[in-house]
Amino acid sequence: MPNIIDAPVDVELSPDGDPLAFIWNRFEHTVIGQPQAVFKRTRWWENEGTPTRIDTELWRLDASRGGEEQHRYDLRRGTDGSWVLALDWG
Amino acid sequence: MTSAPGMDFAHLHVASAYSTHYGVTLPAALAEQAAAQGASFLAITDRDGLYGAVKHVRACVAEGIRPGLGAELAVHDDECRALGRVVVLAHGHTNGRGYAALCRAVSAAHAVSDAQASSAAPSISRAQLADLAGLASLTVLLGPDSDVGLAVARRDNTDAAARLAHWQRALPADAVVLEIVCHLAESGTVGSVTPATRMLALAENANLPAVLSNAVRYGTPEEAVTADLADAARFLLPLAELETPQTNGQAWLKPAGAMRQVARMVVDAGLHDAGALERLLRHTEQLADRCSLDPEHDIGLGHPRMPEARIIGVTGDPVTELWRRATSGIADLYSASGSRAVEAAHAQLAHEMKTVEHLGFASYFLTVSRVADIIRGMGIRIQARGSGVGSVLNYALHTSSVDPISNGLLFERFLSPERQTLPDIDIDVESARRHDIYREVFRAFGSDRVSLMSMTNAYRGRGAVRDAGLALGLPDAQINVIAKQMWRFNARDFRRALEEKPELEALATEVRESQQLDLLVDLTAKLDRLPRHISVHPCGVILSDASLLDRTPVQASGMGLPMSQYDKHDMDPMGLIKLDILGVRMQSAMAHAVEEHHRLTGESIDLDRVPLDDPKTYELIRSTRTLGIFQIESPGQMELVGKLQPEVFNDLTVEISLFRPGPMKNNMPLKYLQARHGEVAPDYIHPRFEPILRETNGVVIFHEQVMRLFDELTGCGLGKADVFRRHLGKPEQLPQIEEYLREHALARGFSDKVIDQIWTVLAGFGSFGFAKAHGAAFALPTYQSAWLKTHHPAAFLSGLLTHDPGMWPKDLIVAEARVLGVPVLPLDVQSSALDYRVEDLADGSQGIRLALPELVGSTEAERARIARHQPFGSLQDFRDRVHPRRRTFEALARVGALDTFIGYDRTRRHELLAHIQSLRGTAVVIRADQLAFEVELPVPRYSGDRAGAITSLELRGRTQTDLELLDLNLAVGTHQMTRFHALFKELGVTPASELGNLPGGTEVLLAGVRRATNTPPMRGGRRVVFISLDDGTGPVANVVFFHDAQERVGGQVFQTNYMLVRGRTRRSGARGVSVTGENLWNLFDVARQVKERHAVERATAEEAASAAAYAAEVAAQAAAQSSPRTLGTLHHLGAAHSA
Repeated sequence: MPNIIDAPVDVELSPDGDPLAFIWNRFEHTVIGQPQAVFKRTRWWENEGTPTRIDTELWRLDASRGGEEQHRYDLRRGTDGSWVLALDWG
Repeated sequence: MTSAPGMDFAHLHVASAYSTHYGVTLPAALAEQAAAQGASFLAITDRDGLYGAVKHVRACVAEGIRPGLGAELAVHDDECRALGRVVVLAHGHTNGRGYAALCRAVSAAHAVSDAQASSAAPSISRAQLADLAGLASLTVLLGPDSDVGLAVARRDNTDAAARLAHWQRALPADAVVLEIVCHLAESGTVGSVTPATRMLALAENANLPAVLSNAVRYGTPEEAVTADLADAARFLLPLAELETPQTNGQAWLKPAGAMRQVARMVVDAGLHDAGALERLLRHTEQLADRCSLDPEHDIGLGHPRMPEARIIGVTGDPVTELWRRATSGIADLYSASGSRAVEAAHAQLAHEMKTVEHLGFASYFLTVSRVADIIRGMGIRIQARGSGVGSVLNYALHTSSVDPISNGLLFERFLSPERQTLPDIDIDVESARRHDIYREVFRAFGSDRVSLMSMTNAYRGRGAVRDAGLALGLPDAQINVIAKQMWRFNARDFRRALEEKPELEALATEVRESQQLDLLVDLTAKLDRLPRHISVHPCGVILSDASLLDRTPVQASGMGLPMSQYDKHDMDPMGLIKLDILGVRMQSAMAHAVEEHHRLTGESIDLDRVPLDDPKTYELIRSTRTLGIFQIESPGQMELVGKLQPEVFNDLTVEISLFRPGPMKNNMPLKYLQARHGEVAPDYIHPRFEPILRETNGVVIFHEQVMRLFDELTGCGLGKADVFRRHLGKPEQLPQIEEYLREHALARGFSDKVIDQIWTVLAGFGSFGFAKAHGAAFALPTYQSAWLKTHHPAAFLSGLLTHDPGMWPKDLIVAEARVLGVPVLPLDVQSSALDYRVEDLADGSQGIRLALPELVGSTEAERARIARHQPFGSLQDFRDRVHPRRRTFEALARVGALDTFIGYDRTRRHELLAHIQSLRGTAVVIRADQLAFEVELPVPRYSGDRAGAITSLELRGRTQTDLELLDLNLAVGTHQMTRFHALFKELGVTPASELGNLPGGTEVLLAGVRRATNTPPMRGGRRVVFISLDDGTGPVANVVFFHDAQERVGGQVFQTNYMLVRGRTRRSGARGVSVTGENLWNLFDVARQVKERHAVERATAEEAASAAAYAAEVAAQAAAQSSPRTLGTLHHLGAAHSA
């Protein structure tokens, strides 16, 4: 089972728009390999307010802190461009 | 043409909003976005058609990018097995071959489905697609929705490869390309990278090119919400219940960077060689190059194509032929008016022909005149309308029947070297014969040259709120209540309307309290204006040469004839000639009147030759009893006619032209009326303007006057003057026009002061005003219908009742007939026909017999049998030959249509009905021509003891009016308001017929049933509501509710149908009167309250009486004890009772 983190993070992007690294708890986590973007739809009609998007942007990637063992993470990008570290899959 | 890699991405698969209930972004917005993203190419590939194609090509031209065209089509194989959906793209720079093949492919897809069943979705056979793709005309993209893509999604690679091989064998080499689509969906769902990367591998293995697309459904990610609504509307299911909602919101028109990112993820997800990514993008770009269409050479944009000369019966040069026909027409039409008139007509003809020759439109005029000849040859009434009426050429060719010279109309308003768009001639015909005309035109010109035009119906308030409500899963009843209130405002402005409109206040409160309704308001606004479905245009017929079907895709219209997928906005750019053949019910009504007159008297009336100066006709018009008369029967028109008091034909033209949104907003009616009635002196500003403005007493009303003023001021010529006139509506153009006008007018001898004055008038005119050609063309049927109403009221009203041409419900026409002394006779199976017929009555007057189709729930076959077998000898005979269904049989008996079988003794109708209801039998299918025996089936006369047992309860307590309203929706016996007349008398309600006798400013109570509601355009923009009330005493009473009264009355102003109104009379002109409404009550509530009050009063009176009686008794006892004076006490008692 993954750990739910839900913490705001700063993410460094490549010129192509892929995450290269993110800073969580003051430590830089470097992305290893090709991260995959996934857009998951929402049941927006069940929520309050009129949505501007019908999906949420998630990036699943492998990253490691320094030389430590790599973990799999889910990063979520909000419509305002801010990032949240959603899950740590271990 | 191609820009640097990475900067540009060519979208090859894009649905526009014209893919109804699927795409949600209009072509212009897509093209603009693509250009802003740096793209140099954009294709539109709408579902099942090229609905948005012309708009897309024009938008691309405007944005400076290359257009591509295609269609997303379903394909089937030889055994009719579905092969999924593919994208068919036309190749460019093929001199139109690719575009023609695409048009034919779309038409073929529709032809198959039309041939099978109307419910079947369009689909093209692969064999046919292969034929059309020959000569390198088309590319077929096999994407995720194709049979190959679906096999890949099933992970059945063997099947996918086999199916792909089949496509390669069936289609020409190079015609098949694989389409990679990835919406970055979650793995395991549609649109994830896995099937996309496997599709890419399939292409590599088969050595076929693959291209990347985004299967676009909307421009921006925000619009994904709207696409969700479109899905709900397409499947008719709430969003929560959709089986296959869009997988996420990524089907937007992504810019190059985002598409490259998608490509990278697809390539990275599989085992592909190092060059795979660049190869995919390169192939995409190469295909875009191949599919770039040249708007002119491929699509034929801007090239008019007229029917071939031989088709319009011309052997030689069309220009010579046109001259010949026009010259002989002038001799025919003008010689009676003298040689000077003939000369003037010839001079005008020469002038017009110069322009026609210069523009190369001779064939056009011959084509239109040929169609007019066809229609006239069928014996159908025809009347040209629109600016074409300003042309002597059209008059001489008998296309139009209004003389442009004596009416002061201008050719240049219609056509000039400065006005290069294809001319537009509208033809009004009898509405009941319109389809016959279409079929005949198809036959005469050939179905490869003719097509009906389509129109795109866009979402408006009610449709939008219904579909948004459906998507949210709101209960039908709730949506209905809201939809009923979506009235006369744009759905886009729903939120603002909720804040501003007093009648929406209850809804506004609900919205504030419900999160779901709040969402509904936003979603409704999103749907507003989006194309919803296409249907056949009510009058547009496209005429062209034999290349028509290479230039427009067609599909079957509701009436079976082929219909182009292009709408009226696409006609001129595509060089397609469109003729508006509009069915006008008034023309049918007048034709019916003329026929009835002929049937009864043998006399033929030629309406087009009726003199236009009949005093009695104008007298009727001036009396404002214009109900039923073309164009001038609305409450507002009645009022204006009353003020204007027309005396000659031109007054009618002026009247009709004044009653238009533009002139109303510009306060022209008031200015004109003041000058007409001598309240102010006409101001012509300058003697040289007087000839131009004399006919309207110095007020500029007509476009033609503006054109003449420009010409007089600047000498620019009428053609250029019309360009100026059209630019007056554009504020940014005004300074340039003013500068030009000042310079030239000064040189032509006008003073600065005069120029200042006239410029103020012209600039203020803006785009307001009306073409006199339109006004004159409308005035003719106005006059003709008024003439019929004056001289042949029974025949005319029977025409109105049969064809229902106007704004008023039939009840009111019936009431008008009653007032005119023409009774409408009840339904009778012996004499009622399929239409309303005039009957000569015993007293020498005429009546109108109710028509059979009015019987609610009767079938066409039953009615046809009644009409065919009339008259009937007995009830048995009627039953045997008509074989009515039970429901029809009983309804006929109830309304009295079978009274003939009981000797027209109304009191016995309950016996007849009971008898029919008691009949038992089994249902049988009967042939139309079945024989029957003539035997007696007498209605038993029940009497004596049994009388109570057999009375049909259905008739108990119901008046003939109730029964007629129930089974006919129309009361002809007595007026439905008659039952309230006692109440009206008690309340002091003024009858509508008495209103005209009251002075202005009198406080009155009015009551009646609502017959019409109008919110005409008003100066100042504040909404005014006109309600026409019918109380059965005469013409309608018109009540006006201004803004303050609307606030007081609230929603009732639209919702209450039976009402009591308090207001003040307002005189308008010599004859007109209307009422300014102050308050409004529901008539039933009032009736109930009065009844309750009566009950209370009765109770009080009884109480008082019994109290008095008690007192009397006491007094009597006392008196008995003292002295015997009972007489006085009795007198008291009587007084208490009467109180």
